[in-house]
Amino acid sequence: MLDRHDMITRRKHIDIPEFYVGSVMAVTINDPNATGRSSRFVGICIQRMNRGLKSNFTLRNVLDYQGMEIMYEMYCPVISSIETLRLEKRLDPHLLYLRDARPEYSTFPMDMEPELIAEDAPVPINDVKVKMIDGDWDKSWERQELKGIDLSGLTELQKRMALKRKTPDYVQYDLMKEYRSTLPEEDQEDIYREIAPHYPALVASQRKFRRRKLAGDA
Amino acid sequence: YHVLLIDLIEVVKVLFIYIIKMSMSICIFQSMRKILEVRSITTACLQITQIDANDRLSQQQQQVRHMSRIKRRHTVQPFWHAAVTRTLYPENVTKVNEEFLSDVIKEQYEHKSPLAAEPWPRGEWNSKSQRCGLIGKKMGMSTLWKNDGTRMDTTLIHISDNHVIRYVPASDLRKNEFTEHSRRSKNPRGALVVGADSADPRLFTREYYNMFEKAGVMPKKKLTRFLVSDNAILQPGTPLYATHLRPGDFVDVSGYSRDQGFQGVVKRWGFKGGPKAHGSTKFHRKPGCIGSGGEMARVIPGQKMPGHMGMQFRTARGLEVVRVNSQFNCIWLKGPVIGAVGGYLNIYDSGLHHCRYRDPDNHPPFPTHYPAEEAVPHVDWWADGMHNFNDATIVFEEEAGATAK
Repeated sequence: MLDRHDMITRRKHIDIPEFYVGSVMAVTINDPNATGRSSRFVGICIQRMNRGLKSNFTLRNVLDYQGMEIMYEMYCPVISSIETLRLEKRLDPHLLYLRDARPEYSTFPMDMEPELIAEDAPVPINDVKVKMIDGDWDKSWERQELKGIDLSGLTELQKRMALKRKTPDYVQYDLMKEYRSTLPEEDQEDIYREIAPHYPALVASQRKFRRRKLAGDA
Repeated sequence: YHVLLIDLIEVVKVLFIYIIKMSMSICIFQSMRKILEVRSITTACLQITQIDANDRLSQQQQQVRHMSRIKRRHTVQPFWHAAVTRTLYPENVTKVNEEFLSDVIKEQYEHKSPLAAEPWPRGEWNSKSQRCGLIGKKMGMSTLWKNDGTRMDTTLIHISDNHVIRYVPASDLRKNEFTEHSRRSKNPRGALVVGADSADPRLFTREYYNMFEKAGVMPKKKLTRFLVSDNAILQPGTPLYATHLRPGDFVDVSGYSRDQGFQGVVKRWGFKGGPKAHGSTKFHRKPGCIGSGGEMARVIPGQKMPGHMGMQFRTARGLEVVRVNSQFNCIWLKGPVIGAVGGYLNIYDSGLHHCRYRDPDNHPPFPTHYPAEEAVPHVDWWADGMHNFNDATIVFEEEAGATAK
């Protein structure tokens, strides 16, 4: 509860926009060792972990043929801005397989412009099937039931092993598993009731940030 | 006839329970007697040695008895402790009666505090003082950040409903080598019994309930003792708050470690076990050889073997208080703390040499913090160098005269 209080307080000084795994984002942090004391990184969000004050997300990009990933803690006070340049979702809960995919799927220009979409439009789902590199993969992605990978180039042995690991159909009826992975409605209501008094202030501060950004751009 | 039979059964049941209770109390009485007998034997031994030390019989009786091994856990309370809980029988109290009872209990405690009536004198701080401690409950871990951007893992501890229950002067403390040393010194230590977490008086025995009479508070779930100097005595009934500590203070925290249950030798003692493969038959996590054999012809006492692991009392010293919240009565300590979440912790001023206070202008609130008399600088009070979430994003300034690359 105190963690949530701290999170709300921090959000009054930084606008954390809506983003999902697969969105392209730009993060600026204040770094004492960087020139101009700040550094900006653009990348695709490959993982998002919600852990209260320790919540983090990882951005991936390929710069000068070198793949690069940076994990940012959302509530770290050193982060000065988080922007979503392209808001979209992917078919998988994580995109760690981009490490073994062809580099074009992880390359984004550092001076990418934000792509605006209508406020009430649904979040677009990108159903691209990523092509993988020919050599050895870091993990056997074919066995993980990921929908965003192009698995046409698998050998017969790999296909058989992938089928072995396939989760059975009856798992979708497992109520206890669903219960364990979600928060009950009663607890959710308690949390929303706790946050409700702070909501107007949060919305006002978000509007302030966006107005400031637009003024800055103009 | 049917009704009579049921009545008879009830009578027999009550008699049966009574007999068992009597026999149990007899057993307890006998065990108490045995302990007292042992004590009387040892005192008798001491007396005999004084009279005729050369007598061979008395030399045998001079043998000092001790436990065969050091006990790692004391699961049975000392016999002088009052029994805390009692058997609760279904009373079938109606909802209205239940409300009435809780009102009665509340009224009972409304004007019971002895603090206003006959307040005790408060001592002045000196460099040899030792203050009372607090009982906290481990809530979990949280991350906070410093002003240079580095992350700090902290433990959140809730100081829930602490009150001082009783003062035991140094002369009344149970005699052991430490208390003797303390009594002979210039600064003898008395004891303050502190309690945490009030509970419904109906849950406890009369013996336990009577302990809280003088303090004028509801019976507590957790009690502990802190040794204090004469000038740090607190009146029974004094509430203790999280503001007893300030950010930047150092504390020692003791508690019971996490209970691992019955564990094997690999986890408990770090034995290597056996090979996982290469033909190893049923020898992966076993202890192997437990003795040298031959002339020894026995297993040495203290041989490391499987057994109960965890649930041991440990103290972590010199933990820094990083943040104090007086609204919710909680403190954040730097680093991890012993025990499971929800476990009780004893928190007291650190005894470490570099953490002691010597400056009369800079010492924690003495003998404790009284919120009505002294306001705390901030409700959410942070240590120096910590980033308060209310502040703006941390910005690093360009150094004057630095060349841009």
